[in-house]
Amino acid sequence: MGLESYQLGKKGEEIAEEYLRNLGYEILEKNYHSSQGEVDLIAKDQDCLVFVEVKSYSYRSFGSPAGAVGITKKKSIIHAAEAYLYKNNIKDVYSRFDLITIYKKYNGQQIIEHFKDAFYVN
Amino acid sequence: MLVKILSAAVLGLEAYQIEVEVDAAKRPPGQSIVGLPDTAVKESRDRVRAAIENSGFAFPRGYFTINLAPANIKKEGPLYDLPIAIGILSVSEQIKEMNSDNVIILGELSLDGSVRSINGVLPICLALGKKKRKVIVPKENADEAALVEKIDVIPVSSLKEATDYLAGKIEIKPHKVDLEAIFAQEPEYGIDFADVKGQGHVKRALEVAAAGGHNVLLVGPPGSGKTMLARRIPTIMPPLLHEEALEVTKLFSVTGLLNGKGSLVTTRPFRSPHHTTSDIGIIGGGRIPRPGEVSLSHLGVLFLDEFPEFDRKVLEVLRQPLEDGNVTISRAHSSLTYPAQFMLMAAMNPCPCGRLYDLKQSCTCSPLQIQRYWRKLSEPLLDRIDIQLEVPRLKSDELSKMPVGESSKEIKKRVIKARNIQMERFKGTPIYSNARMTPRQIKKSCVLDKEAEDILKSAIVHLKLSARAYDKILKVARTIADLELSEKIRARHIAEATQYRSLDRNPSISSG
Repeated sequence: MGLESYQLGKKGEEIAEEYLRNLGYEILEKNYHSSQGEVDLIAKDQDCLVFVEVKSYSYRSFGSPAGAVGITKKKSIIHAAEAYLYKNNIKDVYSRFDLITIYKKYNGQQIIEHFKDAFYVN
Repeated sequence: MLVKILSAAVLGLEAYQIEVEVDAAKRPPGQSIVGLPDTAVKESRDRVRAAIENSGFAFPRGYFTINLAPANIKKEGPLYDLPIAIGILSVSEQIKEMNSDNVIILGELSLDGSVRSINGVLPICLALGKKKRKVIVPKENADEAALVEKIDVIPVSSLKEATDYLAGKIEIKPHKVDLEAIFAQEPEYGIDFADVKGQGHVKRALEVAAAGGHNVLLVGPPGSGKTMLARRIPTIMPPLLHEEALEVTKLFSVTGLLNGKGSLVTTRPFRSPHHTTSDIGIIGGGRIPRPGEVSLSHLGVLFLDEFPEFDRKVLEVLRQPLEDGNVTISRAHSSLTYPAQFMLMAAMNPCPCGRLYDLKQSCTCSPLQIQRYWRKLSEPLLDRIDIQLEVPRLKSDELSKMPVGESSKEIKKRVIKARNIQMERFKGTPIYSNARMTPRQIKKSCVLDKEAEDILKSAIVHLKLSARAYDKILKVARTIADLELSEKIRARHIAEATQYRSLDRNPSISSG
């Protein structure tokens, strides 16, 4: 179900970045901040902008991925996303919000799950 | 990119055309529905998404703004699922070359993409029907919609079917029903006056009630057959006229009572709400306005068993419909009027234990208890009841000896004749039955011969009848005379009418 890899010591965002690059995404921004928000990664998947939230877990959580991103977090990501679009004068482009979860097992093994369209603006 | 789909909204029994506007923007993804949607409409978002994905389409990217115009009419119910889904698919060009001009689309969506039936299809088709206009409806509502001849009813059972049709990939022939046969059909009640053994006196009184539209109070112990008799009153009432049948069908449609039971309602309704029903349940209204029991018994019978057990407030709200024949429910933004012309049949025990008149068992109620029991009936309400009757419990050996009584068909013939006389008499006036005569009309239509006048005067003196009771006796006597096809009211008609004042004749029981 997820991509397993043995990568000790790498930070979650780096793992996610590599994962997306392997899928052919272009990474545009890392740790993008706006006045009231931040987003872990901004990438491009063909014609669609992707705002990515990365979450690392040390336990396996079963459940809706949308639930992993709480309201405050959502607002923060959305604010940052809209700021990015505004500042770069990007209009008329499809975008979406993705969630990448990384589950680190005790033995160093990692399981990556990628949820596209994890949540919406409203 | 913007797409407009035609749909409809129902307010009361009226319907309005609604435009479902779907705008797609290449912006961060989301959806908003505007246009005063209620909760069911707001929830359509999740149903539409699942239905689209499960119908083999992809839910398109982007931000969708859905406006249900005009924006000042409240939108209620899940019927916008289908037009919204089609709008979303159309604006994202997943349905190509869609011809949706002059097509009204209605339907609720299940998560798997199937189309579910909705309420109010008949009023919508009646209000929005134009010649050759197409209306896409859920399959279960097709018969109802087809009552409106001039439109082309296109029944669908799934989102896929609807989109294939609109894209021209499949053909769906307009659904038709045999209107002539439907309107000509005899109402099927499944029960008959002949089912009730004995009680000839009561049956006669009910015949009079049905003929003149008089409200009735039945007083009798439990098991005396009050409910059985009341239930059979619609079977002796004249058949509904076309427009009347359509009105009743509209009411049923809006309340969701039609589902799956064919198209036109031809039987007069019989409603018998439990005495714990709230005033809103009786009169209508509620957060999402709905017709109440008085409207669901429009042109039929409203049976209130255990009459004194009803909440006083509930009995009070009955006064407007009994007076005006309709019910107006006011809201902050608007007021709705539903029709409510029903025949009231109230039933009760003679006392709390029910055995006041029982010859075998004795009554266990104290005089105070009995007084209190009867005091619950308010004067103004009793005022609306023209016929008061005692229904005795028949002994079992009497029952088995009774011959089979007249069939409803026979009784109905007489009732219809009497009703026709009334239609002629009240031509050009807003009323249609003797029960609704104004004092002036009573003076004009109730001409007594000398003998009749004498009996009436005697009754007033000996029974100490009030002026109100006097008017009632005249109205009922008028109906009794009509049943006999007699123009003049004779002594025997007055005598019979006086019998139906049992409460007035037992001052020890009535409230005073």
